[in-house]
Amino acid sequence: MNELALKELLYKIADDLLILGHRNSEWTGFGPLLEEDIAFSSMAQDKVGQSHALYSILNTLGEREPDTVAFTRNASQFHNSVLVELPNGEYDFSLIRHFLYDTAEAIRFEMLSSSSFQPLAELSRKIRAELRYHTLHANTWMKQLGTATEESISRLQRSLDYTMPFALGMFEESPYEKELIATNIFGGEQSLKERWMRKVAEIIGQTNLILPDWKLIKPVIGGRTGQHSENLQPLLDEMSEVFRIDPSAEW
Amino acid sequence: MKSLDPRVNRLPVIGEPGKILPKAPLDQFGTFEVFVQAKEGKAFQHEGIVHAPNLEMAFVLAKEAFTRRFLCTSLYVVDTRNVYVSPMTDGTQNAYEFVNDTPPQSGEKTSYEIYHLLKRGKQHQYVGTVQAVTPQEAMSEARKAFKNDKIVYNVWAIRSSDIRFTSPEEKELWLTLPEKKFRDASDYKGGDKLKEFLEKSKLV
Repeated sequence: MNELALKELLYKIADDLLILGHRNSEWTGFGPLLEEDIAFSSMAQDKVGQSHALYSILNTLGEREPDTVAFTRNASQFHNSVLVELPNGEYDFSLIRHFLYDTAEAIRFEMLSSSSFQPLAELSRKIRAELRYHTLHANTWMKQLGTATEESISRLQRSLDYTMPFALGMFEESPYEKELIATNIFGGEQSLKERWMRKVAEIIGQTNLILPDWKLIKPVIGGRTGQHSENLQPLLDEMSEVFRIDPSAEW
Repeated sequence: MKSLDPRVNRLPVIGEPGKILPKAPLDQFGTFEVFVQAKEGKAFQHEGIVHAPNLEMAFVLAKEAFTRRFLCTSLYVVDTRNVYVSPMTDGTQNAYEFVNDTPPQSGEKTSYEIYHLLKRGKQHQYVGTVQAVTPQEAMSEARKAFKNDKIVYNVWAIRSSDIRFTSPEEKELWLTLPEKKFRDASDYKGGDKLKEFLEKSKLV
């Protein structure tokens, strides 16, 4: 087993989860209604928890402690997609990102549940129920707001059009695709992307939203190799503020 | 300029002379009642309400609003307007004494879920299901089926088909909950940390 290939895979999944978990947690206290505030915050907490589980697996492979890995790297050392680091803006954007990302995450972990790398297969089975709720939440909102009023539909549409190039950037291939597939660790980004496109089209098809033409979208890539937008470093600075003041702080 | 303070926006607008209008409805979602089963085999209990645009959204929002901390095996939601409520008693009389006998109704019987309030200030709990044509008949059937020596303060009847239940395959939604200790305030051992801090301060 190529350990480099495996670590690259674990890092990009974990970093996506940590950064989006942090971004979504920024809505805590500001959600559009109390019930949604609680649900969105709760799912953000799930994501940070899932990233911790992955950093813990990386730790068993010789990487540093989860907290050190999460709080001491610079933006260029993060492997997350640019999609997850984008600032929140309006809630319609956060919902669209939640829908596009979580659909991919659920399929990714479904594929990983039969991974030849046992710890990853076990984790995938364990968090399946959480992902089931996350996608139920996302799909229900899409169907609700995607068919509700002219304003809700046009706002979602605008966000969908804006977000799609970043969403396709999630499937940026790693240098180790062939090895990961050959060793049955992971079925590969291409296969994930195709399944994701079908699922996204299925849900969008149940709304008044129009799916952009895939062929005309240029994916925003670079995140997997540490090339990020200017939005990531400020997020990391804020996220690691307490850790930098007192690395032994417990709370 | 439009204020960002919702209290300011709720102030009445200065009207035009001679104009008489109906009162504007509140700009907020309706309510849905949430029932939770904490353990397999335990009765479903009314836990509170959520605001939502429809039944399905109510189910989704109720899941985190009411079952993100404590054990849960299943939950369901129903539009508040679909809950039928018996007269409330002060505890010296059984609520069923105020439920009239209903003559046999024409029409098709459907099932109704029945709930009892056994203590003032507590929650309604599921007691069983009856078959009836109308909510009134359901209460009357419930009286035959569930009335005993115990004082019931209040009875609810809800048509089963109005309820959004948890499907069998959705029951996995709560599988990882027991492990999420970080959601429990007690898991942070705030008291212990404070004590430790105070002990340390004494030494200085």
